[in-house]
Formats: sequence, structure tokens, C-alpha cells
Amino acid sequence: MDNTTQFTSLLENSTLARVERMRMLPMRRRTNRSRGEHLAGKGGTSTEFNDYRDYVAGDDMRYVDWNIFSRLNRPYVKQYRHEEEMHVVILVDASASMQFGDKFLRARQLAACFAVMGLMNIEKVSIFACQHAGTTPLILSPCTGRISMKRVFKFLEDIPPGGDFPIEEAVEAVLVQHRGRGIAVLLSDFLTYGAMDRPMNMLFSAGLEVFAVQLLSGIELNPELTGDLRFVDSESGQTLDVSSVGDLIGFYHEHLNGLQEYLTTLCRQRSGRFICLDSSLPLDEILFDVMKRKGWVQ
Amino acid sequence: MNWPGFSALIHAWWFLLLIPLIVFYFLKLRRPRMEIPSLALWRQVISDQRVNSPFQKFKRNLLLLFQILLLCALILGAMQPYLSSGAQRVQNLPVLIDTSASMGALDGPGGKSRLDEAKERVGKLIDDMLPDQQLCLISVNSAARRLTDFTNNKRLLRESLAQLDVSHVPSRLEEGFRLAQALSRAFPIESVMLLSDGNVPQDVEFELPFKLNFQRLKVGGPNIGITDFNARRSRSGWDVFARIEGSKEAKTLAEYEFKQNGQLLKSDSVSIDGTNAERLVFKVSTDIAVSLELRLKPDGFDSLDSDNVAYLDLPKPRPLAVYCPTDMASVRSALSIIPDIDLFPGTESTPSAVDLKFSEGPLASGPEARMNVKVGFVPDELATLIEIESGLAEIVDWNRTAPLLQHVQLLDVQIADQPKLAKGISERDFELAGYEILAQSRSGPLILERSSDSRLDIQFLFHPDRSSLVFRVGFPILIQNITQMALTKASLADARAIPAGTLPPRRMEPETEFHVTGPHGFTDSGKSDKDGFLMGLGAPYVGTYEVTGGAEPQRIGISLIASRESSMESVEKLNFPEVSVSATETVVKTDEPLWGWFAFAGLGLLIVEWWYFQKKPAGLPG
Repeated sequence: MDNTTQFTSLLENSTLARVERMRMLPMRRRTNRSRGEHLAGKGGTSTEFNDYRDYVAGDDMRYVDWNIFSRLNRPYVKQYRHEEEMHVVILVDASASMQFGDKFLRARQLAACFAVMGLMNIEKVSIFACQHAGTTPLILSPCTGRISMKRVFKFLEDIPPGGDFPIEEAVEAVLVQHRGRGIAVLLSDFLTYGAMDRPMNMLFSAGLEVFAVQLLSGIELNPELTGDLRFVDSESGQTLDVSSVGDLIGFYHEHLNGLQEYLTTLCRQRSGRFICLDSSLPLDEILFDVMKRKGWVQ
Repeated sequence: MNWPGFSALIHAWWFLLLIPLIVFYFLKLRRPRMEIPSLALWRQVISDQRVNSPFQKFKRNLLLLFQILLLCALILGAMQPYLSSGAQRVQNLPVLIDTSASMGALDGPGGKSRLDEAKERVGKLIDDMLPDQQLCLISVNSAARRLTDFTNNKRLLRESLAQLDVSHVPSRLEEGFRLAQALSRAFPIESVMLLSDGNVPQDVEFELPFKLNFQRLKVGGPNIGITDFNARRSRSGWDVFARIEGSKEAKTLAEYEFKQNGQLLKSDSVSIDGTNAERLVFKVSTDIAVSLELRLKPDGFDSLDSDNVAYLDLPKPRPLAVYCPTDMASVRSALSIIPDIDLFPGTESTPSAVDLKFSEGPLASGPEARMNVKVGFVPDELATLIEIESGLAEIVDWNRTAPLLQHVQLLDVQIADQPKLAKGISERDFELAGYEILAQSRSGPLILERSSDSRLDIQFLFHPDRSSLVFRVGFPILIQNITQMALTKASLADARAIPAGTLPPRRMEPETEFHVTGPHGFTDSGKSDKDGFLMGLGAPYVGTYEVTGGAEPQRIGISLIASRESSMESVEKLNFPEVSVSATETVVKTDEPLWGWFAFAGLGLLIVEWWYFQKKPAGLPG
């Protein structure tokens, strides 16, 4: 990629142009009261008609439907959909485990894409990059509008990789600082020792619909290993001696599938979405094929 | 159930090598390090109950397991394990293998011989021999021959076994047992194994000092053979007799050919039914020495070939040459009435050698003879045992069955020479000197006989002229018996086929080296003694032997002539003087060595280990 001609090193211009015309499709309307472009409940001031109700004293006379009044001789007030703002929170797992394969690059690219979608749809977008456990995540404070796009790209390009921040703690750390309803995009490999129930509950309670994207490299999806090996954890440096690895691949796949089903269930029970992606898949295929077909974006 | 035993339990110390093996395994266990994103999933995999199943644990240290198994297999092999047969183990085992003629019998057309079967059994015995066991192979026929010393060298034993061959001679088990007994002086022997077809004499004159395991092989198939072939002088020449016998199962026709000096004289067929002997009679008129051959050609299957041919050498017919000094008038008088005798000295000059010689003094004079009758003196070799004094003696006992004294009444014969034994001398001393006492007075022996292969000496310690014997009717009978013995010795009265074993003594050029060649590539050599007698040359196979080295080569026909060998009968047990040993046809159980299995297991483990860990050079993906 020629950086001199590209708007960002993360996305090609053509991809960026297509992403700018896309928007996220949340399953629930979780919006802020502040005005935005997401149609929320009735009683708003948009042009989208929603319902009628009886006129009560004090209602704005401008919303009385005079045609109805003339026919029925009773005043009814027209209600319109409320257009509210949706807060898109993007959490990028920047720990050491994400450095394998194209996971970290793909996570930042997807984060950029989701951020662009949010910005182009007048949403508030904030980005958190979690690296080292116990430290404050790197934060891109909420921003909105096309004008913030450069800032978003700069933030994502500059995230240094490495660290040992578990995803469940990262979520809690993010929620300490975040305020606002909307969508929480989690970009991680979700390879953690801790349980994900609690962070998922916290996200749900915070009014955030979870878009969980699990990014795994080829060695995690299909490890072709044999013999006796000493595995070294990239984050903690802990070792694990495994004999006859080739005979355990079947068990590994069972546990990986179990993890994915567990995460899928957690997200679905909280009106969220979960997808597992091979980080080696091309970005365009992920965005314009996989996510579109699964109804994540349009 | 018999538990395995170990011949070299000392090697169990090698099991201590397991300790350094295990220690070094874990010390040297270098696993390839591989950095992975997270151990989270792998920890779950390792903690999986199924992964921690015993089988998976077993697989986890498969290399160590392979190495332990390999080491154990090698050590167990070195410990020489064996599966005990339950039988008492012996360390030194003489194996007597019957190689008599009947062991050459086949079990069927194109089948294997008894000796081949014996070889198979002994071969199995050698294969299963443990390191602390030693075998000594002994071939037994009419004589015993030690094939090997006590050894556990299997190659040597197998080679000796392979060279073993059947001799066409009857069995004499005593020789084998005596050889085993002789071996027991150098090696502790608890048991002796005998492998035979059972075609052996049932009564064995031997005191068994050890246990005998009589392994009887299955007897051969039906057989017929020539069991006797002899001739007797007749007025017109020779009457030749042959007897053909068969085993119990034999019921067949057989053609025979009777040849004289290679020319067919008669050919006919004879029917053999079981053990009923068939007697053939031929008449041969000749005034020269001839060789006769009788060959049998059975129509059906005949298990033994060696008894289908017999040879008979007939000497040139001639009068008996007798030398009797003129001083021995009474003897000459008795000889003069016997026909076909040339008595010397007489009108003709005395030849250098005669068939029978009478002498009355210790000084040797006159021609050489194969049979000597000496009267009236004590020979030098008996001078220390007995002396003759003047005085009356009377014969009180004599061997009435001896050919010399048949039909001779010696009772009340008065003898003027009285024998007197030296102090402390008994009959045993005469036996040790080689003499058999034929007649005895109260004070000592009066007539002695000394026999050997080439000579026969009759020793009268008294002079007949100084006794009343010459006036008795028994005297001419005595002289007649002597001439008959001389005729037999000179093969002038009758002739018999020479059985295999050794060549009969023959008078050849003195002190000359002779070579014998015979059937099956047999060769032997020997030197004649100063008298010209050639003795002790082997003739183990039936056939014609040629003796060379003298002025002219001589051919001698050797036959089997053993009714028992041809009968294929098998004894159920052997009767020893005090015990009987029953035969068994059960193959002897031996301790089965197992080290070979462990060696194979070790090799298999090595190959499996190599294959398992070399199918991918490393644990990491290529």
C-alpha cells in the first residue's frame, strides 16, 4: 500500500469509500437522548410519523392534526419518531496475543471501519485500546462527524501492540470511563482464562449492544502440531508441556468450538452478536461479504 | 502352569539401568519451545478428563515407555529365560543315537529314514538347549563312537549330527552305555537319552548307573531281506544256503539273482509272507575260490535296502594241512583215519604254513598255523601261574559244550602229569591271561583254550601219551573235533557271509600297509602284523571292499546278515540286570528357551520407536 496516496495506512481508499456508505445495524435501538440520526421511540421531532394520541392541555398546538379534528371534532396530536444519537464504543484488544498473524492489523482495520461507519452516521465514536493489565486503556475520546476521521485513523495506527490485558478486565476498565448507550464493538481473540459473563452483563446493563468479533490466526483455528512441545504463553510467559500434541488436536477443536458457542450464547442472550473470523481473510471479504450476509452492516 | 525360569539370573542386575534411563530421560527431555497466543485453550485441553485417561497418560511418555520396554526386553533376553517343561533339567546329557542298520529303514515310499527322524528330534533338542546345558552325541551301532564332547556349542553339535550316518551293522547298546558310563567319570551324568527304533536286543548286559530315557522312534515300513547266507562243503563242491525273512507286515513277491563271480547262475522269485522264513538252496561246483552274490529285488515297498544283497566268498577246496611231529604217534594215528587231510611231515615236503599244528614242546618248530595244539608243557605266559609235577591227576570237570570236548568222555581218565597252581592263583588269573579253562583237575586246569581273531591255541598241560586218554574211545573223537575246528578256522568246511562291522582277519604280506576302499566312499588303512595278519579294518557298509597294497588287490563282500535288523521288530522295553526301562514314543519335552522372543520383541520395539518418532522429524509444523 502506498501511504503517500492513501488516506490511512489501515484502509485502502476504495475500501474506505465503500465503508463510508455503510452503517451498522444494531438489533435493538439503544440510543442516547441527545439528538442523532437513529430513529428511537415516538415523541420525537423527526419527519417519520409514528402514531396519534389524544390532545391534552399543554401539548404543542402545531402537532394537532387538523384534518382529523375537522372530521371527528376531537383534537388528536400527531407523534413523530424520535431521532437519537447512538454511541459506538470500539474496544481493541492490543495485548500480546493479538500480535500473532494478522490479528492485530485486522482488529485495527475493523475498528477503523466501524468507527468510519459511526462517524459518517453522525454517531459518537470512542475507541479504547487495552494493553497492559491494571493500566488505563488508551482512549480516543468520543468524537463525531467526518472531521474526526483523521483523528480516529491516527489513534488506531499508533496503538502499540503488546501487553497482558485480559479482555474481561478490559471491558470493565472501559465501562468505568464510558457513558452512553449504543453499540460496543469488541475486537479480540477472547482467549482468556476469565469468564465473560460479567463483562457481558455489564455491557448490557450499560445499554450497549455487543458486537463481539473474535479474531483468530491460522495456528489457533487449525493447529497442525505433532510431538512433544513446550507451549509458551505470549502474554504471561508461562509454559505448558504437552506431549503427543497431534493426538490432542481433536480435543483442542472441541474446546475452541465450545468457547465460540459460549460466546455466541452470551451475546445472543444479551441481544448482541458474535462472529469468529480468520484473521487471514481479506478485509474486503470480511466487510462486504461476511458481515453483510450476517446482517451486521448494510 | 509352569513359570518361566532364567538361566542367567545374574543379568537381572542390568535392570538397575532403568534408573539412569529414567533420570536421563527426564533430564534430557528437551521439548521444542513454541510461543502461542494464549495457553487458555490448551490448559483446558490438558485438564480434560479424557486427556488424563490412563491411555492418554500412557501415550504422553511413549518414548520413555518404548525405551523401558526395549531395555527390559534386552535384559530379559540376556537373562536367558526358558519355559520349563516340568521335567527335571539335566546339565550334562549324553544322547545315544542308534545308527544300526534298521535305522536306515524308510517309513514309506520316498519317506524319511529312522535316523533322519532321530536327527530331527536331536536337532530340536539342540535348538532348545539352554546355555548351562551340555550335550554329548554318541553314535551306537555294534560299537559306540563319541561324536562330540560335552558341549553347548550348537553349531558343533549340528555339524556332528549332520555327519551321522547309518552303519549296516546290528545294534549293541552295551557299548553306548559303557561309553556314557566312562563319560560320567569326568562329568556328572544323571540321565542318558537313547534314540532308537527299538530294533535292539531286549536284554542288555549292563548295570545302569543313571536314568535312561528310551525315546523310541516309529519302526520302519515293511521289509524283507537276506538274513543268512552260508555254504557247507559237500562231496561235489559246496551247498549254499540262504534265508530270506521279512517283517510282520511284509507280504510280497521278490525276485532274486544268484551270481558267481559276477555271472548269473540262477534267477527266480520267492514269496515272503510275514515272518515265515524262506530258505533257498544252491549247489556250487568249483575247484577254485569263488565269490557268490545273492541279490533280492522286492516287488513292493521295501524299507531297508542294505539287507537285499549278501556276499559269500568260498575258498578253494583243498585238504586240511596238518602238521604233527612224528614223535606224537598216538595223535598221528588218530589223524590218519580222518579223510581229506594232508599230514606233515610225510612224503611231501612240509609247507611253510599249515591249517593245524600239533606240538609237544615250548620250542617253536615246524610251519606256522592258525590253529595250534600244544601238549605236555606249560607255556611261558602261564609259568608264573601253574607248574606240572609228577603225580596222578584226574579230570573232575570239563566244558562239555566246547567244540573241542563235544562227545568226549573224560571221566576216570588217569593222567600222570599233575598240575599245581601257584600260591594265590585262581581261575580268574587264567582268564586274565587270555585262557579259557576247558578241563580241570582237583589241583588245577589241564586243558586250556586261547582264541583270538587270527589264532586258536589249544593247550594241553599234560601229555596224552602219559595218560589213559589215548586208550579211550574219546581220543579219536577229540582229534576229530580238533580237525573240525581247524577246518572251520580255515573256512574249508563251511563258509559264512561276512557281516558288516570289521573286515575279517586276513593273511597278507607281513608288515605291509594296506588300504581299504568300500561303498559310500569308505576308506581305511592298516598294517599287517609280522605274521601277515591284517586285522581291525572297518567295514561299516554292505558292499564290496577292495584291499590294496599287497601283491594283488583282494575283494571282500560284506553283508548285513542280521535277522533282527531285517525283522523291523521293536522292543517295548529294555531289560537290564536289575531294572527294565520302558520305551516312550512321546517326544521328549525340553525347556523352551525364550530369549529369541525377547530379542525379536526388542527389535520390534526399536523399529516401532524409530518409525513413530521419525515419521515427522520434529513436533513443529514444517
